[in-house]
Parts: sequence; C-alpha cells; structure tokens
Amino acid sequence: MRIESFRRTCVALVTVSLVSLGMQAPAVAGVISTGEAASAARGESPRALVDATIARADVQGKLAELGVDAAVIEGRLAALSEQEIATLAEQIESAPAGGDALAVIGIVFVVLVILELVGVIDIFKKT
Amino acid sequence: MTGLRLAGAALASLLAGCAASPSLKDGLPASAPRTIELDATPFFPQQEFQCGPAALATLLVASGVEVTPNALAPEVFIPGREGSLSLELIGAARRHGRLPYVLDTTADDMVAELEEGRPVLLLQNLGVPQIPIWHYAVLIGYDAERNLAILRSGGTERLEIKWQRFAGTWHRAGRFAFTTLPPGVIPAHADPARFLEATAGLEAAGQRDAAAKTYEAATARWPGEPLAWLGRGNVALAGGDRAGAADAYLNAIRLAPDDVAARNNLAELLLDAGCLGESRRQIERASALAEGTALESSVADSRARIGATEKAVAHCQFEDRDWPD
Repeated sequence: MRIESFRRTCVALVTVSLVSLGMQAPAVAGVISTGEAASAARGESPRALVDATIARADVQGKLAELGVDAAVIEGRLAALSEQEIATLAEQIESAPAGGDALAVIGIVFVVLVILELVGVIDIFKKT
Repeated sequence: MTGLRLAGAALASLLAGCAASPSLKDGLPASAPRTIELDATPFFPQQEFQCGPAALATLLVASGVEVTPNALAPEVFIPGREGSLSLELIGAARRHGRLPYVLDTTADDMVAELEEGRPVLLLQNLGVPQIPIWHYAVLIGYDAERNLAILRSGGTERLEIKWQRFAGTWHRAGRFAFTTLPPGVIPAHADPARFLEATAGLEAAGQRDAAAKTYEAATARWPGEPLAWLGRGNVALAGGDRAGAADAYLNAIRLAPDDVAARNNLAELLLDAGCLGESRRQIERASALAEGTALESSVADSRARIGATEKAVAHCQFEDRDWPD
C-alpha cells in the first residue's frame, strides 16, 4: 500500500517536471520577445501565429512518422524558437542527419575510385 | 562510362575541397598557440548511428553538465533518418541549461574556442558532395607543427587527421560548428548580435535563470547594445521583477530612443504596474515608430489592449519616476 502511494507520488512528480519543462516562460501579455526583436532588427517579419501553429503541427507529425516517440516530441520542440521550428518543418527530411552509418561503405567507395583512376584496378565497366 | 564519370566528378570535387584550405601553420592567427589539446575532454564511444548524442554528451560533460549519450538519445535521435539534426542538438543543449553558440564559418572561431578551453562540436561530410556521409565529431585540439586536427570521433578516442582533410570534411558539411557555454560566459571573440540571438534562443526555451545570468553578463560586456538591455528587461519582467525590468528598458531606450520593442514592453510593464497614463504615452510613441516595420502588428495589438483599458488595475507602482519622451 505504502509502495503504491510512493509510486503515485513519483509519477506525479515526474509528470509535473516534464510538463513544466515544456512550458514557455510566463510573461506579461503583449511583450515583444528578445528573439522577435532581434529578427525584426535583421529585417525579417515575424511569422503569423497561424503559420507557427501549422509549422509546429507539421514537425510533430513528421517526427512521429520518422519513428520518434510521441511522448517526447513536445518536449523536444519546446527548446526551439518559432523560427527554428519553421526551419525544421522545411528541412526535416533533407537536412544533414549526422549518424555515420555508411562511413565504411563511403570510404571503400572513395578508395576504389582513386585506385580506378590511377589504373591499379579496373572494376568500373567502360563501354 | 557513366559510373567512371560520376566517380571522376566526385574525386575532382574532393580534391577541390582540399585545395581550398591552407595548411594549419599558414592559416593560424599569429597570436594562437602552435599546439592545443584539451585532453581532459571526456570520451563516449558512439553506438550505431549515435554520433549526435555521443558528441553532444562530450561537450555538455566538458562544460559541467552530468549527462550520458544514452540519456540524450531520446532527445535528439530520429530513427527514420538514422541520425540527429543540428537544430535538435542545439535544442537539447538549451534544455540542459547551456548556451549553444554557433560559430562563425571561419576556422578562427574554432581555434579561439579551443584557446578558451572549450571543445567544438562540428558536422562533417565524410563522403563527397554527391554521396554525403554526415557525421558529428568533437574537435579537441590541433598541432600546427605536424599540421593535424585532433578529434574525439565515433569509436576513436583520439583521432589525428591532416588539417586540410579535416577542414575539407567540415567545409563540405556547410561549416557548421558550435560550443556549449555555461550561463554568463561570453567568449572573448564573441560577436554581440550572434551571441544575443543565441541567448534569446535560451530564453525562448524557458531557461529563464540561465538567460538572466547571460544577459547580465552581456550588458556588462556590451553596455552600448540595446538588445542586451531588452533581453535583460524581458527575463526580469517574466520573473516578476518590474523595477529591474523598467531599469533595463530605460537603458535600452536611452541608447536607442527609436527602439520599438523596448518602448512597447515598457508600455506593457507600466500597464501591469497600474501606470495607465504613462503606458498610453509610451505605446503611442512605439506605435508611431513601428509603422512599416516588422513589429507593426505586435505593437498594434498592445495599443488596442492598452487603449481599451479604462481604469488602471492598481495604484501606479512607479509614481515619482521620470519616463523618456
């Protein structure tokens, strides 16, 4: 019984900390954020609220499609600005994803090309 | 033949990438040491596809955060891409209370960071432009006499690689590199605009304490930058410190009387503090200044709200203060 209530307390604590992690800092309404002021100074117009909401939903959907656990997506996006989420929405499928899975294949390929060009081997078909 | 032509093109661009960069000795700033190696930098051998979490953990632990690649993987790894995106590494660094500072695209910034004792996370293309192989590694030093870059990379704890080859892989990956700064630390070589935008990112991620400390350092380092004062005011206001926020906004306006954001936010602060008359005066000024700028609609929203307020919520908190014209 005691263990059960301890477990519940733990779950509640973790939930509260995760939820607060995902929240933006509460501010006085209508304050222009520092990021917004910085991008305005560069001549970029801030994204409309509707655009930002669409971009966020778009990224959430794509991350889920790409196999990211739905429970962590919200928290991942909470650390990015509206501008960054919009960039992510555009590039999530094309931006470089460092992973290094194919390094060995790549190095073998480059070595083969060099050997081919200097005439040590002859594996590329020439017709 | 097509295969060979493609291969030839690939090799040509590989060589072109190499030819573009000078040897380390020739390119190194005169003031920089001939060799640096941050050998206390931790090493996390990467597991399959996990060079992003491993490289980020290396940086974060070096900057005093207790974290492991396994703990970071759910924050940055994308199974469908078999890797991690740079923007998500940036976001994860913020979540752990560090300021990710994206470096300028010259190698000088990397050298300067190493000089200040911070390892540099960077993206490499180990393949060729046509067949890219993306990889994150951590630069921990260099040796100008032997013309080498020294890395923590993948499964290799200490990888020595010829400087031009290293610079070529970085160049082909768009010259992306960043370091993680503890709150309040500003690199000696930092560019104010770049640094303040990075801090705004930390602020937007909800890291208010870390952002407050960093803005405070920024106003000390660059007292003439209105954006540093605006940021300092915004985090103070978000934390409920109206007096501190008012001082910061006033400094921004003193430096730049036409600063729309500082005027707008001062008006919001005054409304919140019960000083309705002065709030109206400031929002009218902001509104006139904002005309035709990117902030026009934000200011219009504030102006409508302040205009619709008929009675102050409380007695004015700042009765006997002077406000700028």
